[in-house]
Amino acid sequence: MANYLSLEFARSGPMLLAEARGKGRWATAERVLKTMKPEQVVDEVKNAGLRGRGGAWFPAGIKWSFMPKEPKGPSYLVINADEGEPGTFKDRQIMEKDPHLLLEGIAIACFAMRAETCFVYVRGEYLSSLVALETAIAECEQAGLLGDDALGTGRRVRVLAHRGAGAYICGEETALLNSLEGRRGEPRAKPPFPAVYGAFGRPTTVNNVETIANVPFILERGVPWFRSMGTQGAPGNILYGVSGAVENPGIYEGPLGMTARAVIDQLAGGVKAGRKMRAFIPGGASTGFLPPGKLDVVMDPDALKKEGTMLGTGGIVVIPEEVELLDALRVLSRFFRHETCGQCAPCREGAAWSDQIVGRFQRGEGSGDDFALLNDIMRGSKSRTICVFPEAFAGPLGSALVHFKGDFEKSIKPASPSAPQGTAVHG
Amino acid sequence: MAELTIDGRKVEVPAGTNVIEAARKLAIDVPYYCYHPALAPVGSCRMCQVEIVDPGKPPRVVIACKTEASQGLNVSTTGKDCVAARAATLEFLLANHPLDCPICDKAGECDLQNFSYLHGHGVGRFTEPKRQLIKHELIGDHILLDQERCILCTRCVRFMGEYAKAPQLVVAGRGDRNVIATFPGELMHSNYEGNLADICPVGALTLKEFRFKSRVWDLDSEESVCTLCDRNCSVTLDTKRNRLLRARPRENAKVNGWFMCDVGRFGLLDHCNPSGREESGFLQGARVAPDRAANALADALLADRGRWLVILSPRLTCEEILLARTVLGPLARALVHVPVAAEGGDAILFTGRRAANARALELLGIEPISAEDLARVAVEAATSGVLSFDSVALATLQGKAKLKRAALVDVWRRAGAADAAAPLGVEFFVPGTLFTEKAGSFVNCDSRLQRAARVQRPPQGILGEAGLLQELARRTGDPHHAGARAGDSMSNGIDPTARVLAALGQEPLTLLQLPAEGLDVAPAAPVARTAEARPA
Repeated sequence: MANYLSLEFARSGPMLLAEARGKGRWATAERVLKTMKPEQVVDEVKNAGLRGRGGAWFPAGIKWSFMPKEPKGPSYLVINADEGEPGTFKDRQIMEKDPHLLLEGIAIACFAMRAETCFVYVRGEYLSSLVALETAIAECEQAGLLGDDALGTGRRVRVLAHRGAGAYICGEETALLNSLEGRRGEPRAKPPFPAVYGAFGRPTTVNNVETIANVPFILERGVPWFRSMGTQGAPGNILYGVSGAVENPGIYEGPLGMTARAVIDQLAGGVKAGRKMRAFIPGGASTGFLPPGKLDVVMDPDALKKEGTMLGTGGIVVIPEEVELLDALRVLSRFFRHETCGQCAPCREGAAWSDQIVGRFQRGEGSGDDFALLNDIMRGSKSRTICVFPEAFAGPLGSALVHFKGDFEKSIKPASPSAPQGTAVHG
Repeated sequence: MAELTIDGRKVEVPAGTNVIEAARKLAIDVPYYCYHPALAPVGSCRMCQVEIVDPGKPPRVVIACKTEASQGLNVSTTGKDCVAARAATLEFLLANHPLDCPICDKAGECDLQNFSYLHGHGVGRFTEPKRQLIKHELIGDHILLDQERCILCTRCVRFMGEYAKAPQLVVAGRGDRNVIATFPGELMHSNYEGNLADICPVGALTLKEFRFKSRVWDLDSEESVCTLCDRNCSVTLDTKRNRLLRARPRENAKVNGWFMCDVGRFGLLDHCNPSGREESGFLQGARVAPDRAANALADALLADRGRWLVILSPRLTCEEILLARTVLGPLARALVHVPVAAEGGDAILFTGRRAANARALELLGIEPISAEDLARVAVEAATSGVLSFDSVALATLQGKAKLKRAALVDVWRRAGAADAAAPLGVEFFVPGTLFTEKAGSFVNCDSRLQRAARVQRPPQGILGEAGLLQELARRTGDPHHAGARAGDSMSNGIDPTARVLAALGQEPLTLLQLPAEGLDVAPAAPVARTAEARPA
């Protein structure tokens, strides 16, 4: 099946407006804004079965339909371009190479949701994405594609790029909104959901870059075309990111539903010559570790859920045998400890505590009691906080305990009969 | 309204009330740290987890502070999932807590201690090195911060922003490096800082003024009001060995909500533990026993009936004002008070009017007089002397007029050891009592009558304002008012509060029947007149 998202990714810099128009960018947006009704656009996206590529895989059309049909005051579209998940680097390709694809999608999405302003929250480290995006926005305003009279329709579509400041948690949509407003990047308790009370207290939809990049193609080529790719539950192509010990690490477009083995072998050239795979991460750090025996798992959100993990962002990381699993786990546990916002007690303390315990195992100082303790830490924090961050740090930890328990067991410190038991009475 | 069920019991609350408050109505305590009824809920401490039980579905664990009561909602605070969730939260909170309760001022009234006993494990499993952070640092005019004890509930941060309108505290850092902090190099400055020590559920924010002064279980606590402005915030006064060690706000929706200002909180410590207090009486420049000075003053008042001008103080209790009106009214040329102007008040609680009971003087019909008029009347031929219960008003008057005779009944603080003359050079000085040395009642600026308990003993021999007034009652053959034991206007067998209320045209109540949140004694507003003026 033909690729459509990644056609410009081989370029060295962003495709400018003149060339982009020559390749058909903005033609769909112009047709949609001039001839369609917002509800028709929402229905098309709904019927196409487009699901959010940010990792949660929530149906985009349904999310859009939560927005007020007769807004009293401004509604906002916010693009989540914070892309902080380790192993994930797909959105920057779109912004750095094909920014007009994203902007065209934004114009259509704004029209569908009756939003006049869109904020693109760009990861702080993505300076070249920001520059490419700002250049493209300026070009579009100059050309009348964006602005107070977008595409000559009399509608206002303003796009503002906002640079983050380097916090993983700001990829959580409500933390992103707080950060956008100039507050601490801490997730908000829900309800109210952003569609009711979002950016600056107004109805807001937050969509991932890749999700929005699919929108112009769906409206250009139609629902049957989109549904002809991918799986029944998750149609379309996805940008697989493959990193680690593979021959050709990079971003590869392919249909949803490929096996992890096919992505690694057919798209990324297979495991690096002379290496053996110890484990792989199917979709970004928070999705955890799977053993090579699970390589035939299907890259589909629902199939991976059945495996006890997630598709996440589709960022596959291949861990070679010379890397100890506990070392790989410690890298991630340290990352999550560093990145929890810390507002909820179970997450703040749980991420730090479990990292300390993993550190002990890493040094060969684990204890047999730690298995129950680690499970209690995950149980006491998962679904017990404002956002799903505990699920994120429990991803690698929990999967390691399930699939690589032997690595822990061989790191237990032999008990010395004179050593005191590791418990302290409060007080 | 919405009717919901909590632990099998039904309760009706206004729709939208959160489940913590709904449970409170049933006397079911849902534990919480970050929630505070005066602040917007954030739902981050995860201590108030309860279960929502829907028939046919597994119970759902939610936070009570952010769950609104709705019709038919079925809540369990005892389900095994939420009990486990609360225990897990406590284990997380205690993981890095220093457990230095033996040297912590908060011990005994600490929610981390209380909830650990009620909802926690007995044993901690945290064996890693604990976080080491700032243990004691002055971050404002009164507040010491201990970052190790802090559980990051952020009540303090939100209080400073939402209530004190002085957003000077922040959460700095991220994750387990989060700490409460001021802006770099800056201290907090606010008139409401002291409240941080009360709303901090643990011992992270403590008062400089109370640090290491007492274990809280050794304190004697009584309900009173703050008399340093005419808001009369409801307070709890904590004393030990007759010294006031701490004043805390007491919840009263009609007066002060949950808080009090620092002018009152710390001012009371000085006011009630006065240094250099004059404990003897004075008679024509000579130091005498207080009762001798009172007797001589009574003689002088009776010898010159109808010619003494009496200035009452807006810091007297209602009972003292009423007793003065009854006993001194017929003896004096006039009973007056000098209204006090507001100075330096704020838009939150502090009114700046240092006249706690000024409204009672107005309601009880004591004539207001300007300082200028007072100076004129004081030197008229018909006036033979001035008796003042208010040292401030007397000092001002002395600056404006040369008095023939002067008497003062008030608390007097000497400037220094060398200062041995009679206070303000008066002929008669009778040492007065602090408001904490007598039970009584006060009416605030909004006409709210509240009681103040006796929390301290006056120094030996001091009979106070009531002692003088009762002596006068005895001599004028008024046994009705004379029976009181000196120094306690409340214990004369005839409840003075009942008479105060009768004088204010209210149903009589005894002082002990007076509700803790007080009683509205405002006379009916003159709306009838407006209605009459309107054309039919």
